Parts: sequence; C-alpha cells; structure tokens
Amino acid sequence: MKTKTHVWDVIILLLIAAFLILPLALTFFYSVFTQWTDILPTGFTLSFYAGIFSDGAFINSLLRSIIISFVPVVICTISILLVLYVITLYVPKMEKYIEILCNIPYAIQGVILAAGVISLYSGKPGFLSNRIFLLVGAYCIIILPYVFRGLKNTIGALNVQCVIEAAQVLGCSKFHAFFSIVIPQMKRGIVSTMMLAFTMLFADFVVVNMIAGSSFRTAGIYLYQTMSKSGQTSSAIIVILFITTLIISTLTMIIQNKQTVKGRKS
Amino acid sequence: MNNSLKKSRLYLLGLLPFFLIAFLFEILPLANIVVESFSKTGGNGFTLEHFFKIFTTRLYQQSIFNSLWISIFSAFIGIVIAFLGAKAANAASIKIRNIFTSVLNITSNFAGVPLAFAFMILLGNVGILTLIGKNYGIGFLADFDLYTINGLLLTYIYFQIPLATLLMLPIFGGLKKEWKEAVGILGGNSFHYWFKVAIPSLLPSILGTFSVLFANSLAAYGTAYALLSNNIALLPIRISQQYVGEVVQNQEFGCALSLVMMALMVLSILITNKLQKRATGGRS
Amino acid sequence: MSYIEFRGICKSYDGVNQVLKNIDLNIEKGELVTLLGPSGCGKSTLLRSLAGLEEISSGKIILDGEDITNLPVQKRGIGMVFQQYSLFQNMNVEDNIAFGLKIAKVDKLVISDKVKRAIEMVDLVGKEKSYPSQLSGGQQQRVAIARAIVMEPKVLLLDEPLSAIDAKLRRELQEKIKHVQKKLKITTIFVTHDQDEAMIMSDRIHLMNQGIIEQSGRPVDLYTHPVSKFAAEFIGHYNILDKRKLNILLPFEKFDDGFYAIRPETVHIQSEPIMDDGMYVFEATVENVISRGNVLRYTLRCGDVCFTSEVLFRSFALFEEGQKVCVGIEPHNVLPIRD
Repeated sequence: MKTKTHVWDVIILLLIAAFLILPLALTFFYSVFTQWTDILPTGFTLSFYAGIFSDGAFINSLLRSIIISFVPVVICTISILLVLYVITLYVPKMEKYIEILCNIPYAIQGVILAAGVISLYSGKPGFLSNRIFLLVGAYCIIILPYVFRGLKNTIGALNVQCVIEAAQVLGCSKFHAFFSIVIPQMKRGIVSTMMLAFTMLFADFVVVNMIAGSSFRTAGIYLYQTMSKSGQTSSAIIVILFITTLIISTLTMIIQNKQTVKGRKS
Repeated sequence: MNNSLKKSRLYLLGLLPFFLIAFLFEILPLANIVVESFSKTGGNGFTLEHFFKIFTTRLYQQSIFNSLWISIFSAFIGIVIAFLGAKAANAASIKIRNIFTSVLNITSNFAGVPLAFAFMILLGNVGILTLIGKNYGIGFLADFDLYTINGLLLTYIYFQIPLATLLMLPIFGGLKKEWKEAVGILGGNSFHYWFKVAIPSLLPSILGTFSVLFANSLAAYGTAYALLSNNIALLPIRISQQYVGEVVQNQEFGCALSLVMMALMVLSILITNKLQKRATGGRS
Repeated sequence: MSYIEFRGICKSYDGVNQVLKNIDLNIEKGELVTLLGPSGCGKSTLLRSLAGLEEISSGKIILDGEDITNLPVQKRGIGMVFQQYSLFQNMNVEDNIAFGLKIAKVDKLVISDKVKRAIEMVDLVGKEKSYPSQLSGGQQQRVAIARAIVMEPKVLLLDEPLSAIDAKLRRELQEKIKHVQKKLKITTIFVTHDQDEAMIMSDRIHLMNQGIIEQSGRPVDLYTHPVSKFAAEFIGHYNILDKRKLNILLPFEKFDDGFYAIRPETVHIQSEPIMDDGMYVFEATVENVISRGNVLRYTLRCGDVCFTSEVLFRSFALFEEGQKVCVGIEPHNVLPIRD
C-alpha cells in the first residue's frame, strides 16, 4: 500500500507542475515561432526578440519600470531602518503603533490604495498632483508591510541592545554604532527584502495603470498596449520580463549564499 | 549639560520620513476614501446616494457577488490542490520536493497581465488547445470560453496554486510522524488519521492560508483587466473604471466602491480570526 | 578618597520598587572586587550605572576623583565585558579589538601594536582574522576582554562574563582573567551569582541582596564570618539555628536571643564519645548521607532539629543511616548572626 501512495504522490506532483508550467512554456514557444495552428508550431524565428530590442520604446519602458520600482524600495527601506533605529533603541513602546500602520496596506491592496491616492491628489496644485510623485508614494505603501516585516525579522535575530552598549562603552555613539555595526550585520536581510519588494513593484500593473496610465509607460503598460497588436511580440516581452524577474530572485539567492560562505571560510 | 543632551528628543527625527510617507499615502487617502464616499458627486454635502446606487444597481450587485464568488472558489480550489500537492511533496524524496518547490517559486511570479495573455494563447478563441480541440473534436476544449467568469476563475486558480502550496508546505512539515503511528497503534486507519487528527490540527493554518488567498484574488486586477477589459462585473474593475477609461469618471462613487471592497477585506480577516480561534479551541 | 565611590545610589524603574537602595560603596585602585548575589539583587544594575548604561534615580558616582554621574557612557573611560556575546559579527577579531581605538582616532601603527599585544595577552594568536561566528563561546569572551583592556580603561567591568560557558572552560577563563588583571593592575569589578567563582577570583567580595550591600570583605572573612542569615546561607550552606533549636541540642548552655550559624565542616562526628571539655558535645542520629565526591554530607537529627555535617571522605569514618553518633562543635564556630 505504501508504494502505491508514493506513485500517487508523484503523479499529483507531476500534474500540478505540468499545469503550472504549461502556460509559461507555451508563451515561450509562441514567441519563437511564426505559425501555430496545429499541435506543433512551425517557422522558428528570433525576429520578435530582435524587433523588441531594436525598438527604443520597449527599452525605455523597461528602464522606467526598473527605476520606478527601485526608488520606492530605497525610500521605504531607509525609512524603515530609521524607524527600527528609534524603536529598538529609544521607544520600544512605539513598535505596536508602527506595526499597525505597516499592516494596514494588507487590507488596502492595489486598487483601493490607487483609488484613494488619486481621489485625494488629482487636481491638487504643485508637486502633489505629479503622477510620478504619487506613484512613488503609493508604491512605498504597497511594499511597506513586506519591508517592515523583513527588516524587523532581520534585526530581531540580532542582539542589538547588547552590541550597541558594547560599542558605546568603547566610545562610539548610538547612531554611529547602529549604522556601522548593526546595519552591516543586516546586509543579507536588507538585500533580500529589497529584492522581494522590487519584484513586487516590477510586476505591478494596477497601481501604475490607475495613477499614471499611459502618461508613464512602464513595461507592464507597454505589454498591455502591445497585446492587441502582436501576439508573438507580446509573448516575447513576457518572456523578457519574466526572465528579468527570475534573474533578480536568483541573484538574491547567490548574494545570500556568497555572504554565508564568506563568513564561514575566512 | 550632558544630561540635557542625553534627554534631547533628537532621535525622534528618525521617525519623520516614515510618518510622512504613511500620512501622505496611507492615512490621508484612507480617510479621504471614507469622507468622499459620503459626499455628493463633484461637490460637498453628506449623502448616501453612492451606497444606495451600489446596492440597488444590478451591475454593482453583480460585481460584489462575482468578486466574492471568484475569490471564495479560487481560494477553495487552490487550497484543495495545494493540500494534495503539499501532502505529496511532503511524502516525496527531498530531491523531488526541491524540484517541485522550484517550480512553485518560479511560477508564483507568473501573474497579472502576462498570465492573462498566456491563457489567451492557450485557450482563447484561436488558442492552441482550442484549435487542437476543434481539429480533433475534443468538445470541452473547443467550446471552452475563456472570456467569461468561469474562464477568469481558471486563471485565478492558476495564480492561487503556487502561493497556496508554498504556504502549505511548511504547515505540513509540522505534522508529527508519531501521530500517525499513534493512530495506527490505537487501531485507526489512514482515513481516521487524516480526518480526525491531521486536518483538524492543520485547520488553523489552512484557514490562515485561505484568508491570504481570498484577499489575493479579491484585489487581483491585471489578469481580469487584460482578459476582459472593462466588460466584466468585478469590484476592482468597477473601481478603476471610475478613474480611467472612456466612461464618465466619478471619483466619489469610486471611493464608495473602494470602501465596500475594503469592508469585504476586513470582514474576511475578522471571520478568519474568529474561525481560527474556534479551531484552536481558544488556545492561541 | 577611594578610586571609585558610589554615594547614596538609588535606582527605581517604576518609582515604587527600588532596585538599589541607598548604596554606598568604595573600591580601591588595582583591586579585583566581586559583586555577588542572587539574580535580581541589583548587582548588574549597580555595575551598569557605573558604566553609564543605566541612569540612577539619585546619588553620586566618583571615579578617579571625578564626578561621572552625568557623564555619557562614551566619556567614562570604562571597559566592559557582557554576559551575552557582544562581539561585532561583521568584524574579525582584530577589527573588533581595534574598534575603540579607531573611534578614538589613535595612530594606525599604535593601534596595530596594541591590538597585537592584547591578542597575545588573551592567547588568541593565530585567530586575528577569524570572525566571531567561527569562535567558541570562551574564545569570544576572550576577544571581548581584549577589546576592553586594549583601551586601557580606568576600570574594567565584567557582567557575568562566564555564565554562558561550560564548567571546565569557565575555570580556565577565571584563571586567565585573574592573571590579566594582576599583570595590568587594572581595577576590576566582577559581577557573578556563583559564590565559588567569587571566592576564587576576588580580592574583596561585596555581597548584595535586594538592593543593598549585605556584607563586604575578603573572601575568607565572608566565608568564615557571615554577618547575616542571608550571607550564611548564600556563601557557605551554613546550618542556621535559633536559640530554641540550639537549646534542644545543648540544653545546659546559655544563648542570647537570635540566630546562629554553624558551618557544616566544623560539625565533628564520631561513634565514640568525645572527650573534650572545650567543645559542645551531644548525640544525634544519622538521617541521610550523600557523597559529594571527596566530601560526605550527613544530615543529622536531634529531637526536631535537623542539621548537616560535612566530613572528608575517609573509608574508616563511615556512618550509616539510623546510626547514633556523637557530635562535637567548638563554641567559637557557633556564630551569632543578624536575621
């Protein structure tokens, strides 16, 4: 009976994996063939990729996506690190209020947040109605829970209080100690948290579509606009975006592993 | 003098960036949603007309219903598949489990507009499976209509599976081998084990996972928008329509819809918490 | 004037319960003193108030003739080793030890010379480039000691530095700390809850209990002449008897009211009657016997009074449970103590 269940387990895993991989694989094959009207596609080509990369508009949109995802991640990470500095070393009582603020975005995901932000700021004078500014702000809130949790867990694993005291006794200020001793120890956690937040924003469609629309064409918007024009080009874009995301996640892991190895070896 | 320096509250400046961001983009917009939901279109003055419209118009009733329906079903089916997957992965060898986890990690990045597109080329009007179905007379493939709520459900289930399974895997790690042995010693079979021991002990975590999945699909937008544009009664689509697109925009009404959706989110969290408490017997 | 003076130190976290109750304490230059006491007695708080890591509610702290009560931690010229491993994980051994000197902007050549000597002092030559995570607990605390002494602090504070280290290594490190302290003649305050450790290490012990200093003195004085019930119990597992109980053992002797402490190893027992006029002599029954390695501990009973006697384990002096024995105690070993 035991071996029987084992076979069943493998079959289940295979079925699930097949279902998950099928659309992905298909998108890829779709992007490298000109014709697909029967079981097997015909006419292998890389011309769709060549077309995308010779098209400045796509490259620009990709760069826009990278920048608009990266800036909020940096702002959010720095803000949370400063918050953690204050709540771990000065006012631990404040943590629960900060935590509530950081958890609210779970309940106002995507569309609600975007609706709230444009309702409030559209038509307001000056920089407040600047779409890029609003997008950066809204993105900071989207990733807030994940950045807070990631960094808090990282700092929680360290013996911050004692290390800071040791540094103080040696003549170092609290602030200097936090940024020269505690933060370097958090490097791995900070990098992986930032990468996770980045991939979340990189994949965003709803917030950018509602707040900036066609006035700020990120890769997601570009893809949406291409979809009605060319199927193969769209699938090529999807493949490129997907690979970008995968490279970032893989890089995260490599960086993490390297650090542990380095720490152990030397 | 040194004492006064020590007592200075200069460190509070560290909270400034965070509070500035949270105030401008979280607290104010939230408060604004609440206020505007009860304001007359394009002007001031208290009104309940938006909510009256939402709960009496067929389109918006349908949107709430569809949003709930698709969220509950996709979460439920996602959980069932994830349960089987996690159970199988837990029993499989480490090597197989690692490969399976990698597949989950990779495909969990596949959502939104790209996912909608992938399903279009798979099952759309001229999708590959559709064509195969037509060519070889496989009825359910040939007649499958992706551009309906059922088609949408399929795509939602797709993005729920990796997330659900990734959340369930560590939960299964918590099942103790000794429990199964104990059930065996007491004369129970694997039916007893699963339905009397394993599932009840997993229930709080499963409920937690359900809550995450529910929220995940309630807020999902890209897939539906790419697949059906504005032609579907779904809450996120109806909300965004008040701000972008060709239809006359009405942001007060958008705020009211957002408030309804937020209420559903909060409600689902509260219900899960309540159920979780009951499932743990008020222990945690 | 002493090198370190605590004057009227009070400390309360909530304004109601006092952790330190008006403590006056003097420490002389070059001494190794121990603050000994059970957990929660205020010993760590007192130490941390000297370091400036804990604000005091009232009182004055003087170090080397200077009032440091309101001086920030960084300016007090103190070296400290903590109970938890507090090394900077992102720096190797060398960088950890050099950290304070770099902050003080000491010349690079001087730093490397001082660091080298500190590493030799704590026997860590060859580990200069190791990271804390690659070191054992004992090695980590050695680095912490080196990191503190390299600054040539006015006083070295050790806050239960060995309590997380296993017994055998702990003895080695106790020796090491004492050795370093004597060599550098550095004034050192050592906090511990382990009375054996305090006995081994200190020039003077200050025994603390519930926010006050119960007794101060050389280890041997504390051991042989506890002044209170608490000191007698905490330091030497003394038998504590009141006047009533003493009179049950010795009905014909006159005792003042109050408590008396008798060290177990001063309670002599033998099977034949004791012929010594200078001794208190009486009979008791062996209730129980436990062997603690080279020491046998007898629990004896006389009437409703139980007390213990400890004798060196010699095979010819074994008594069995239930056996009647003769007990002798020299009068000067019956110490009157405070409640």
